[in-house]
Amino acid sequence: MSSGMESEGAADVLVIGAGASGAVATRVLAEAGMKVVCLEQGDWVSPDEFFGHTPDWELTSQKIWHPNPNVRGRPDDYPVNTEESDVNPLMLAAVGGSTVIYAAHWHRFMPSDFRVRTLDGVADDWPFAYEDLAPFYDAIDTEMGVSGLAGDPAYPETASPPLPPFPIGRIGRRAAEGMNKLGWHWWPAPMAIPSRPYRGLSQCARRGTCMQGCPEQAKASVDLTHWPAALKAGARLVTGARVARIETDRAGRATGALWRDRAGVDHFQAAEAVIVCCNGVGTPRLLLNSASARFPDGLANGSGMVGRNLMMHPYAAVVGYFDEPLDSWLGPAGQAIHSLQFYETDADRGFVRGAKWNAMPTGGPLGMRSAYGGKPLEEAWGANLHKTTAKRFGRSFEWGIIAEDLPDEANRVVLDGSLTDGDGFAAPKIVYRNSENTEKLLAFHLARAKEAMEAAGAYEMTTTELMRDCGWHLMGTARMGRDPETSVVDEYGRAHDVPNLYVYDGSVFVTSSGFNPTATICAIALRSAMNLVETRGR
Amino acid sequence: MAKEDPIRFTAADRARFAAIADHLIPEAEGMPAASAVEVQNAGLDHVLSLRPELADSVLRGLRSGGEEDGGAAAERLNREDPDAMGAIGLVASAAYYMHPEVRRRLGYPGQVQRPVTPAEEDDFRKGGLLQAVIDRGPIYRPTPEEGGAGG
Ligand SMILES: Cc1cc2nc3c(=O)[nH]c(=O)nc-3n(C[C@H](O)[C@H](O)[C@H](O)COP(=O)(O)OP(=O)(O)OC[C@H]3O[C@@H](n4cnc5c(N)ncnc54)[C@H](O)[C@@H]3O)c2cc1C
Ligand code: SF4
Repeated sequence: MSSGMESEGAADVLVIGAGASGAVATRVLAEAGMKVVCLEQGDWVSPDEFFGHTPDWELTSQKIWHPNPNVRGRPDDYPVNTEESDVNPLMLAAVGGSTVIYAAHWHRFMPSDFRVRTLDGVADDWPFAYEDLAPFYDAIDTEMGVSGLAGDPAYPETASPPLPPFPIGRIGRRAAEGMNKLGWHWWPAPMAIPSRPYRGLSQCARRGTCMQGCPEQAKASVDLTHWPAALKAGARLVTGARVARIETDRAGRATGALWRDRAGVDHFQAAEAVIVCCNGVGTPRLLLNSASARFPDGLANGSGMVGRNLMMHPYAAVVGYFDEPLDSWLGPAGQAIHSLQFYETDADRGFVRGAKWNAMPTGGPLGMRSAYGGKPLEEAWGANLHKTTAKRFGRSFEWGIIAEDLPDEANRVVLDGSLTDGDGFAAPKIVYRNSENTEKLLAFHLARAKEAMEAAGAYEMTTTELMRDCGWHLMGTARMGRDPETSVVDEYGRAHDVPNLYVYDGSVFVTSSGFNPTATICAIALRSAMNLVETRGR
Repeated sequence: MAKEDPIRFTAADRARFAAIADHLIPEAEGMPAASAVEVQNAGLDHVLSLRPELADSVLRGLRSGGEEDGGAAAERLNREDPDAMGAIGLVASAAYYMHPEVRRRLGYPGQVQRPVTPAEEDDFRKGGLLQAVIDRGPIYRPTPEEGGAGG
């Protein structure tokens, strides 16, 4: 340890990253009596930093609260080189991590998601099944205060979520009527947003500004749902703490982490065990940045899979315009209903796997304007501006399509040769291309979504074939499995190569599913942390 | 969040901004012109206090070109400096759509509080809407008996 470095008292467990997985894990471990320290590069965000309750909201959503760290450029963020990627990864550095700005769609995976090799002959099966995770989904639903309706025929029987579902509103009804005409599946959307007051969370006021932070303290972000309990149980959370690398001893065990505070002072946090919860980009970045003589290719990377198989859920959308007011700005921003009609594989379509659809509101008047970039002036402006706004604003909804992308070793997170964060630590670079399967899948789903819009009565539509700023879901870059040759961690997130190092975030996913992943990330973090408690000292 | 001081705009800058903004957002279709809701004054300052990074492009656009009306300036910028044009268009439309009078005419209350009322609950059941889905039965594939080994 160099001079001038501060050394902290050893922890039983060091958790790196205070987002969804880090919060769930810290709470379980602290409540089990372990001495837990969590290092988070971001800070607490207070609700008065959000703009959802002011007219400034839409404008700030395009910069200060933009989900792309490269656009936002806060000092807490690290930049990401996306020159070789079809999709930009999105995230937030904060206590609560990306859940502070997530839309809170709260979906579990379907049984087939864990068995894609067996059922569809692609990718790999997960080392556990849907049934193994189901009790942890139930527990997490209760911790988050999920609003939803049991009985969705797209799932085996599940427990009732703790809160009733949101009404589907005008846009949901339009969308659902269209689906019923076609005989296609839909269901009131499950959301990690309380339709009624729940534990410490306010009742959702349906402002619809969830993705720029909830000014009502309603949305279940883990800074509200988990951190207070974790701190009460004795966990220590250090903010403004950027972890540079995880250190190991001669025996190849993790000893703790080197981190730098905002004043530029370096620290060493010693720990008996280290759990990495930095998300699907931050985790491989940290493991690669932790290379040493003993682990020259990055920590826990004997398989060469650290950073590989990045999955980000390419997203396409159809917006339909209707001849009646639909209150299309009413929240929650995420979704009114979802559809899993085309989720499962049908070999006749020429591709495998599928996508989840969400029918969602379209927001304020300014967001609508962004669709006009690059058009001739008179088309986008002048009297036409008023005509289009009057015709379209408040009278539309979006069918969004979350495409399952399959793991591909070529899609990966690597360290950038020159780009660094504000502390001079190597930043990640993303290499990510859509596969042929994804392209076919998106084309098929877009065609069906247009049919659904037409059936719903849209007189006009616009289509986004692939949204570039859609990397909300970061998965696969430290995959779990039984074979150390082909996976990084075991089914409980324990690194094959480093026995006291764990990964709990979406990096461990074997496949991506077509679902928003955070319910699954949290359920896996809970299952893994409980296993750590149970097997401690064995 | 700290707000940076907006750039000082001269009266000429503001007049130019108003002229371009009125070309983009004229009085028409029952809506007021941009300058009628003061986008060139309070609007411009407020938007740039939230988005200070746009100020340079806006100013560059306003101070380029010679004697010309708002329409000619907008067309020229659109051809020669799309970045400046984009910034001016964004600032003008943001200021415009944030103005209470404009919102009133659009029937847009803003992102207001509207918690769920009991009357709205279960709206998805009305007219048998959801029953149709239930009646169609399960659509998932269960976990196969012989689960694979896992990678
Ligand atoms: C705009 C947006 C909308 C979304 N909507 C949904 C949705 O509707 N439903 C859904 O399921 N999911 C959604 N997501 C995804 C969801 O937010 C993530 O899946 C979830 O937050 C991931 O949890 P995590 O613990 O893996 O990582 P994060 O929540 O991203 O947390 C990682 C934390 O680690 C910290 N960290 C990283 N590197 C370091 C380091 N070197 N040192 C110290 N700290 C570090 C980061 O600062 C961050 O706080 C959305 C995401 C975004 C951005
Ligand atoms: S819609 Fe609900 S959850 Fe979303 S920001 Fe508003 S109050 Fe918060």
